Amino acid sequence: MTQDPRVDQFISSFQALRAEVEKVIVGHRDIIDHVLIGMFAGGHVLLEGVPGLGKTLLIKTLAEGLELSFARVQFTPDLMPADIIGTNIIVEDADGRKHFQFQPGPIFAHILLADEINRATPKTQSALLEGMQEGGVTVGGVSRPLPAPFFVLATQNPIEMEGTYPLPEAQLDRFLFKLRVRYPAIEELNAIIDRTTQLRAVQVDRVMTGPAVLGFRELVREVPIATHVRDLASAIVMATHPQWAQAPDVTRRFVRYGASPRGAQALVLGAKVKALSEGRYNVSVDDIRQLAAPALRHRVILNFEGEAEGIDVDTLVDQIVERAAAITTQGKEQFVR
Amino acid sequence: MRVPHPDALDRLVREITTQVRWRRAEHYGLRGAFWGAVAAVAPLLFRSVLGPWALPLGVILPATGAVAGALMGLLKRVSPADAARIADRAFGLDERLSTALEWADRGDRTPLVDSLVADATARVEGVQRRQVVRRIFPREARMLPVPVVLAVVLALAPPVPLPRASLPDFSSSAQREEARERGDGAMLEDRARPLTKDKQQRPVFEERDWAQKGATGAAATAGDLSAVFKDTSLANQRPDFNSFLKKGDERLKMLEQTDRLPDLQSDFTSSQYKMVFRKSKELKSGLRDTISPQKLKELLEEMDRLGRKNPGGWGQDVAEGMEALEGGQTDRAMDAMRKALDKMRAQDEAQRGGKNLRGGREADRRSGREGGRGEGGPEDQDFGEGEGMMPGKGKSGSPKGEASQRLRANPYDVGVEGESRRGRKDGFDTNMTGRAGKMSSRLSYMGIIGQYKKAMEDAISREQIPRDFHGQIRDYFQALDEK
Repeated sequence: MTQDPRVDQFISSFQALRAEVEKVIVGHRDIIDHVLIGMFAGGHVLLEGVPGLGKTLLIKTLAEGLELSFARVQFTPDLMPADIIGTNIIVEDADGRKHFQFQPGPIFAHILLADEINRATPKTQSALLEGMQEGGVTVGGVSRPLPAPFFVLATQNPIEMEGTYPLPEAQLDRFLFKLRVRYPAIEELNAIIDRTTQLRAVQVDRVMTGPAVLGFRELVREVPIATHVRDLASAIVMATHPQWAQAPDVTRRFVRYGASPRGAQALVLGAKVKALSEGRYNVSVDDIRQLAAPALRHRVILNFEGEAEGIDVDTLVDQIVERAAAITTQGKEQFVR
Repeated sequence: MRVPHPDALDRLVREITTQVRWRRAEHYGLRGAFWGAVAAVAPLLFRSVLGPWALPLGVILPATGAVAGALMGLLKRVSPADAARIADRAFGLDERLSTALEWADRGDRTPLVDSLVADATARVEGVQRRQVVRRIFPREARMLPVPVVLAVVLALAPPVPLPRASLPDFSSSAQREEARERGDGAMLEDRARPLTKDKQQRPVFEERDWAQKGATGAAATAGDLSAVFKDTSLANQRPDFNSFLKKGDERLKMLEQTDRLPDLQSDFTSSQYKMVFRKSKELKSGLRDTISPQKLKELLEEMDRLGRKNPGGWGQDVAEGMEALEGGQTDRAMDAMRKALDKMRAQDEAQRGGKNLRGGREADRRSGREGGRGEGGPEDQDFGEGEGMMPGKGKSGSPKGEASQRLRANPYDVGVEGESRRGRKDGFDTNMTGRAGKMSSRLSYMGIIGQYKKAMEDAISREQIPRDFHGQIRDYFQALDEK
């Protein structure tokens, strides 16, 4: 039991929502946690994985656990921005007068599932930019706010690259986390088989409302962070830049562009949510370390050599984190010097 | 509003700070002790100069260094934030302590900070206190035994004698003599004393020394051996090492070019025939066909040895000669020796033949020998050692020797297919031997013709052959080519 009742409520809600999702999704605890962290941090999450791993099911289950509107868009090459945002259509009223009326697209939902987002053209992908960042869209010169909370969960397939349009860096940067969904372990696979091949209906309960989510988002921002922990986050982000004077050698060699300040924001906000979810009132160094890969792996753009060498961005980020930790603690760990 | 720090947090921070100070005191104390010990070596080294002060200094300096280092470590400032970080890491507080200490005093603290401080306090109170600051030995600590041991050794050992600072004496013996006469050189007194004669000293040094002294023109003193040479040209002559070196260089150059020196032995030692022939001539001692049986036996034994070593067909002749010698038939032994010598010469010439060409006439000669024709004849012309057609060496009565045979001089020389006679080949000759129709060449016809045509062209360009004959000569070789 902690001191602040809001924190207790957050922890219980977080755990309840995770439990609802885990009714359907077997394993992938870290993926579920990171999706929830992204949602409470106020960001959007991109899930990458081969087909059949339950990415779409996870998001649908999460939406079912929340008392929020949910929309799903299957991205295809012929999908147009208006198909997502909406458009003005001519309607005729009772008096027979015709006028334009805005027909909102699926983006006007609390939770938007952008399935296989890399199959749409960049033009359509970019239709999400304004909504993801500003929380509103502009159609016909009229700006329309999106419902709050607004949460985009996108999926993409990393192997079927033919006929796909990789997300541009500007679009990728809008996602708080990029999560890699990996194959389940054999025990998890057995549980998936048992759960999905038997006659047993799973009922997902709604455990959280929209206002509660918004309240938790504000609570997250109250979590204090020590200076040296914040410095570590900044150092990690700076260490992804090859131009930085103290950048590690791997960055100089393999990285073309480093993470933007959004990366540092994602890192700290995610760490705050993680701390709260674990019942802590402060951000620890380990929170930053554990969230570095989800927050930065899609923000670090490899150069030609990095691509040619097949450098794994997660490994690269791990090395960057170690280097950044050494930089921030330099001269402070060896107190007897 | 300032929230007072709970005592538990401050207490933990103070404890960590104290631990850090002591660790620093150890660290810097060891460093100070090392440098103090290094400094203590100096007074112990100069103990003969410092006298009774050396030993106390040798003890005081390391102790002072250690105390000074420890004091510096104790007095260095320890940041509470750094101490809190150590505690966070050591006790698994997940940055609760450092964050609480930092945010408790901030004006923009959130309501969660109060909860954080309370949470941190509760966790700190439950922490099992222990030493969390690890000891870090400085680099100097590993090397500390070196100056300490050195200082102890120097302290226990007798004082190290110090070298006296004085310049060497460059004055001459005459000047020293004058100085000694003046009696003003206590320092020079020892040097001016005549050296005791050292039997081990090399005399050459003495002579050189005295010769140089003589060259200075100083007057000869008693016991100075340079006086021996004072009336000779050597007295004022210094060794000319430059000329010696130059000569030495020339000799060295000659020695380095030994491959260019004539090998006077190789000519005879390389040829078995010549060696035996020379030996037989020596044994004859200028007398015609007279040789002692003993010498003849030795010669035959040597030829037998060479025959076994390098079979050439003269073994049977040598055996006959030995048998005849045992029977007392010296003449027969001499004949056998000559036959063996001829065979040895034949083998030697065969080995020396450059292209080792074998042709019809050689075969004819061999077959003729086998047929009992005996040696000699015009086809046995030879310019080698011994008999031949050279003036004075052949069997011909003509003082100029017999004329060499020319092409087409006899029907056997017509149409020779690229065969040259055996024997010494100082150059290309046109003495074609043998008959082409009887035996086949071991070399290709076209290849030999090509060589001869090249030699022909060289000869035309080299020799003074009338221009009218050039075409005729070329036509001849052209005819050979077409054949």
